[in-house]
Amino acid sequence: MAEISSSRSLWERLPQPLRSNSGVLTTFVLLALLPFVIALFEGKPPSAVWANQAGTSKFVQGLAIEIFILAVYAISYDLIFGITGLLSFGHAMFFGASAYLTGVMLKSFGWNLWTTLGLVIVLGGVNALLFAIVLPRVKGITFALVTLGMAAVFHIVVQSRELGAYTGSDVGLQGVIVPDFISPASQRLRFYFVALLLMYLVYLLYRRFVSSPTGRVCIAIRENEGRALMLGYNTFYFKLAALTISSITAALAGFLHTLYQPIVTPNVAGLGYTISALLIVLIGGVGTLNGALIGAAVFRLLDFGLRRYLGESASFVSGVVYVAIVLFVPYGIVGTWYLKRLQIRQGWTRLVERFRHSSEA
Amino acid sequence: MNGLLVSLRKNLALWIIMGVLLALLIMAIRGMPTKDWVITLLRSFSAGAVIFLVASGFSLIFGLLDVLNLAHGTLFMIGAYLGWTVFVRPDTFVDLLPLGALLGSGFMLGPVWESLSLASRLPERLRRILPWMGLAAAVAILLYVLPHYPITAWDLDRYDASPVTYAYLADQGLFVPPEPEKFEGMAPALGLATVVFASLLATLSLTSLTQPILAAEVRPKMRWQPLAAFAAIVAVGLLIFAFNDALTNFLLGLNTTWLFFIAMLVASLTGFGLGALMESTLIRPLYSRPIYQLMLTLGLSAMGIELVRAVWGRPEFTMPKPALFSGSGDGCPATTLAGWLEHQCSTLLILDGRVRVYNEIFIPLVGILVLLAVWILLKRSRLGMIIRAGVQDRQMVEALGINVKRVFTLVFGLGVGLAALGGVLAGPSTGLGSAMGDTVLLNALIALAIGGLTSYPGAAIGSLMVGLLQQFIIKYGAIGIPIPFTDIVFKPTPPLVPASTVLLMVIILLVMPNGLLGKKE
Repeated sequence: MAEISSSRSLWERLPQPLRSNSGVLTTFVLLALLPFVIALFEGKPPSAVWANQAGTSKFVQGLAIEIFILAVYAISYDLIFGITGLLSFGHAMFFGASAYLTGVMLKSFGWNLWTTLGLVIVLGGVNALLFAIVLPRVKGITFALVTLGMAAVFHIVVQSRELGAYTGSDVGLQGVIVPDFISPASQRLRFYFVALLLMYLVYLLYRRFVSSPTGRVCIAIRENEGRALMLGYNTFYFKLAALTISSITAALAGFLHTLYQPIVTPNVAGLGYTISALLIVLIGGVGTLNGALIGAAVFRLLDFGLRRYLGESASFVSGVVYVAIVLFVPYGIVGTWYLKRLQIRQGWTRLVERFRHSSEA
Repeated sequence: MNGLLVSLRKNLALWIIMGVLLALLIMAIRGMPTKDWVITLLRSFSAGAVIFLVASGFSLIFGLLDVLNLAHGTLFMIGAYLGWTVFVRPDTFVDLLPLGALLGSGFMLGPVWESLSLASRLPERLRRILPWMGLAAAVAILLYVLPHYPITAWDLDRYDASPVTYAYLADQGLFVPPEPEKFEGMAPALGLATVVFASLLATLSLTSLTQPILAAEVRPKMRWQPLAAFAAIVAVGLLIFAFNDALTNFLLGLNTTWLFFIAMLVASLTGFGLGALMESTLIRPLYSRPIYQLMLTLGLSAMGIELVRAVWGRPEFTMPKPALFSGSGDGCPATTLAGWLEHQCSTLLILDGRVRVYNEIFIPLVGILVLLAVWILLKRSRLGMIIRAGVQDRQMVEALGINVKRVFTLVFGLGVGLAALGGVLAGPSTGLGSAMGDTVLLNALIALAIGGLTSYPGAAIGSLMVGLLQQFIIKYGAIGIPIPFTDIVFKPTPPLVPASTVLLMVIILLVMPNGLLGKKE
């Protein structure tokens, strides 16, 4: 009894931000420890992970880095699609433009990493402005089609033979020399932590944004734009803010993508890549933010696992999985969890009780 | 005159855009010799007709059901592959017919299942689980029986029996059907009965899954028509199974022109069935959360593409042209229509330019016929009236006591049927490949955005514009555009073909956000 009360008081003594973010902190710590734990399973000392020796741990780190980058990209889509309610089919342009810009600046112009990062952030802003120009004219599905058009033009430009010297046309951009201190080959653990940190910072920032007055107006725009307008909000500026934040985040994801991948294919600027973001958000739950992170993990791991064990017919099974998710997890993983939380918890307690009773008997 | 002025003032943007585009077209035409622009125009009509067949179905579905059917391109492709099968391998088609009839027979009993599933006095939990168990059992039975079912088909692992080879043989007129297969390790009667049983089980389960549970008072009355339809379908299936060889020989002896029309009919009907099935089982539960329709149709599209790859293989192959459009030799290329009919030439000389009759005359003709037929259906029939009213205001139509659900299923089937017809038409001109669906869907989407997403005439105009723009740019890619006041000749590169249509769409949408003929909100 005394133990329980003391532990409870310890819990209560924790500062409020720590307590309300316990889930976020726990997953962060778990993910930070993950490379070392995997090395232990393999029978290697954590120092081997620290020294970036080859092995399962390094491989898992690589997969996790891809998931983190994908998650940052997907959460940026959730902000404009799930929170603000703008259906865009051109989101891959935010990602692809910055991925290509990073590669070209580092490879062909020999820029320093930090100035490139600065330029990428500026590019994110410019891209958002480009989409915002058409915002007042077109709404709903038409906005989706216009953004699809802009992204398609960018996709075609990137693939064109005239720019082949810079972009590698339809083969893709390769041979980008990444500075040694963050090289994915020799300093993968550092890269892992950078990507992990970026994902968490972006997530926390987004959560803060959504609960800020500006974010609340964005949600209001999603629910009923006419009403938000009538209440006196100039919805254009709020949409612009969401677009800018989203675009810069996607640009950061693209920046990391170029640093991590040995080759940047034109696919990252294509419609398929926007569709991936849409699917990830739908798998995770629209407008839930953490759904995008979970969705990215599910999406990438599903793709990886199916391709590994089924080979060519993998996309058939992933199609079946999407249909099954639509039918059985009606609001995405996190969305359905929020909806059915109580029922699931009740069912769980009932199950545990039943086991307890049977073991006692 | 006054009315014209008023309309001009109201639709100023529309008329200005049309004027500019017309001026561009005239300029493009004047840059070419007569025979070149005539052929380019005909090619644009051909490309436009195929895009229109996909776009019109997409727009009907989007207008009435508010569903963005991203699987539409895949269904177009499936239509093409089905048409190819009927056209090149009639023996396989005849083998599949009884199977299709027996599998579909259960659906005829829909009303009976409804009253049965409503009548069930089962406890809540059982009622939820039983349909899924029934569905799983049906699938398991089919998975066991189907490998035994005799289907004489191609073999992807052997090159001399692959679809590529069969396409070549059919084109050369050398096709000899392989020895028909028989039921293996199973009595035919037992095999057929099991298929019917699985169909009954599957449709009963599907109905109980998708139908809401109503009180006993509103239970529909049992009627005899569904039973008669069921018996008729089963009888037809069994008859075809019994007279398989005779039917195969009849189809093989038929002129390939007729066979091609049969292929078109079969593909459209199968498309209709597929669409109706898709709407009534998968799309219907999703009307309350529209955004997940995107994910569902994307998933179905991925499944469809992979299924086609598994059944017909990954390599692209061709579809031969029907006899009416494939002649060569004496009197070819024909110079008059009568000469063409007499020698059944593949090409026709118009103004000294060679025109491929199938690609440049037949496809646009079918496109126009379908345009007119659907137009008449929409304007002159009761169903069309309901569809048009539903596009305007769905709730009001429901409130007037019309069974909108059934109309939804019909329209979805109609849209998919049109896409499948487009697939068969496109087969002989562009060949078959598993990427054909995505390209045409993107083009159709662009055409619809240009013309107005839910407008039927808009779909026609948009498709025509996309076709014109693409074909003229392809043509100018060959001959080059001299830039005025300089010696430079600009040759548009292939990537400019999709880029130009996309740019046209963006410009038109920015000027007129609802498209050229879309209704204003």
